[in-house]
Amino acid sequence: MQATIAKLAERPNLWPWLLLTPLAIYLAVFFLVPLANVVFMSFTEPRLTLANYERVLTGALYQRVFVNTFATAALVTAVCLLVGYPLAFLMTRSSPRTAMLILTLVTMSFWTSFLVRTYAWMVLLGDSGPIIGFLKAIGIEQPPHLLFTRFSSTLAMVHILAPYMIMNIYSVMRKIDPVLIRSAQSLGARGAALFRHVYLPLTAPGIANGSVLVFVICLGFYVTPVLLGSPREQMIAGLIGTEIEEFLAFGRGSAMAIILLLITLVILTIYHRRFGLDKLWG
Amino acid sequence: MNRLLITLGIIAVVFVVAPLVIVVPMSFSNARSLQFPPPGYWLGYYHAYFTDMRWLRPTWNSIIIAAGTTVLTMILVVPATFALVRHRFAGKSFADVMLLMPLAVPHIVMAVGYYSYLGMFGLVQTHLGVILAHTCLSVPIAFLVLSANLKGFDRTLERAAQSLGASPVRTFIHVTLPILKPGLIISALFAFIQSFDETVVAIFISGRNAETLPRKMFDSIRQEADPVIAVVSTLLFALVLAGIVLPPLLKSLRSRVTPAPAAQALSTAENQS
Repeated sequence: MQATIAKLAERPNLWPWLLLTPLAIYLAVFFLVPLANVVFMSFTEPRLTLANYERVLTGALYQRVFVNTFATAALVTAVCLLVGYPLAFLMTRSSPRTAMLILTLVTMSFWTSFLVRTYAWMVLLGDSGPIIGFLKAIGIEQPPHLLFTRFSSTLAMVHILAPYMIMNIYSVMRKIDPVLIRSAQSLGARGAALFRHVYLPLTAPGIANGSVLVFVICLGFYVTPVLLGSPREQMIAGLIGTEIEEFLAFGRGSAMAIILLLITLVILTIYHRRFGLDKLWG
Repeated sequence: MNRLLITLGIIAVVFVVAPLVIVVPMSFSNARSLQFPPPGYWLGYYHAYFTDMRWLRPTWNSIIIAAGTTVLTMILVVPATFALVRHRFAGKSFADVMLLMPLAVPHIVMAVGYYSYLGMFGLVQTHLGVILAHTCLSVPIAFLVLSANLKGFDRTLERAAQSLGASPVRTFIHVTLPILKPGLIISALFAFIQSFDETVVAIFISGRNAETLPRKMFDSIRQEADPVIAVVSTLLFALVLAGIVLPPLLKSLRSRVTPAPAAQALSTAENQS
C-alpha cells in the first residue's frame, strides 16, 4: 500500500494525460481539423486566393447581410431583455409555488425543440392563424402579412432565446438580499430612483450574462430565420447555407463562416476577460 | 414601478407559453393547411405518422444516432473529467478551454467544416458520420454537468473505503461510481438530448441515408408544412412535459410512502439546497 502510494506520488503527472488522451485525439481529429479545413477552404477554393474574403467583405449583398444580422441580433437581445426582466421580477415577487410554476413553464419552453417552437409561430402568425383571425374579427379588412417577414423571424427568435435571458436574470435576482432594498428605501429611495440606483445595478450581472449569450447565439442562428424570415433579408448563417448548398461556393461560404466565428470568439473573449466564460453556461 | 414590471411579467408568461400550447390542438386538426382554430378534429395525422416510413425512419435514425453519440461522449468525457477535476497539471486551464470550445463555435461553422471533411472519408450521409459530428457538440455539455457533480464529491468517502482495505479499483466500483450515478445519468441524458435535437449539422451531413428527425421536420416545414409535423411536435412536447413534470411527481409520491421523519428530513434538505 505504502509502496503504491509512493510510486503514484513519483509520477503525479502521468495519470491526467492518460485519462485525457482519448478525448484529446477525438477533439483534434473531429473538431480542430474540420475547423482548420474551413480556414483552408476559405483561402483555396476554387484556387489559392484572397478573393473570397475580398468579395465577402466588400460585396454589397454580403455587407447588407452582415449589417442585417447584427441589427437583428441586437433587436432580439433587446426584446428578450424586455420580456425576460419583468418575467424574472414577477417570479421573485410571486409565492414559491407560483414562482416554481413559472420556472417550470420557462424550462419547458427551453427544452422544447426549436423546430417545434418555430412551427408553432408559423401557425400563430399564418394567414389562417389566430392573430390574423383576430385582426379580421375586429374589422381590419386587409390585415398585414405577418409570416415570412423580418417581424415573424425576430419574434420567433425572441421566443426561442428568451429562456436563456430569463434564467440568467432570475438566478441573479433571486440572490439579492432584501435588506439592501429595505435600507435603500429607509434612506429615501422610491420608485424609479430605487430601481435605477439600487435594483438595476444589482441585477446587472444577470443582464450582461443573458445578453451576451442571446446575442452570440442569435448571430449564428440558422433554422428560424431560414424557415420564418424573409428570403430578401437573410442572416449570415442562412447565406452561408445558400452559398454551399445552392451555389457550391465553398470558398465564399467558408470565408463567411470564418468571419462569423472570429466575431463570436472576439465577443466571448472580451466577456471571458471581464467575467469568466464558465459562468455563461454554468 | 413594481406594478408596471409585474404587468409586463404576466404578458411575458403568456408570450412564453402560448406557442407551446398551440401545437397540441393543431395535431388533432383535420385541416390540410395551417388553420387555427381547426375546422374539425380527428386522429388521422397520428395514424399517418405511425404508419409512414418517411417519418418513422428519421425517428429511428435519430434514436440510433443519439444513442451512439451518448455512448461515445461518455467514453471520452468520463475519464477526461476525472483528470481535469481531480488532478493539477501543466496545461490544465488550456484543456478546460479546449473542452468548452465546441460550445462557442456556431453550428453553421461546424456544419460547413464537416460537410467537406467527412466527405473525404465517405462518412457523409452515414450514421457513423453524424455520430462523430454530434459527439463533438455533446462533449462540452456532458463535461459541464459531470464536472459540477464531481467537484461536489466528498472524497473522504473514498479515503474511508481505502483505509478499510479496499483497493483503488474496488473503491472506484463500489464507492465512487454509485455516488456519481445520478450525475452520470444526467450528463448522458444531456448528451442524448443535444444530439436528438441538433438540427443544423444534421441538415448538412445526414443526407437521405441517415436523415434525422429534426432534418425531416426542417424539410417538411420548408416545403409548406405537412400536417404530420404537428403530430411530431406534440409528441416531442409531450416527452419534454413528461421529463419535467414526472420526476418531482414521482419523488413526492415516493416520499409519501417512506416513513414520515425521513421524508421530512429529505424535503427540508431539498428545499434548502
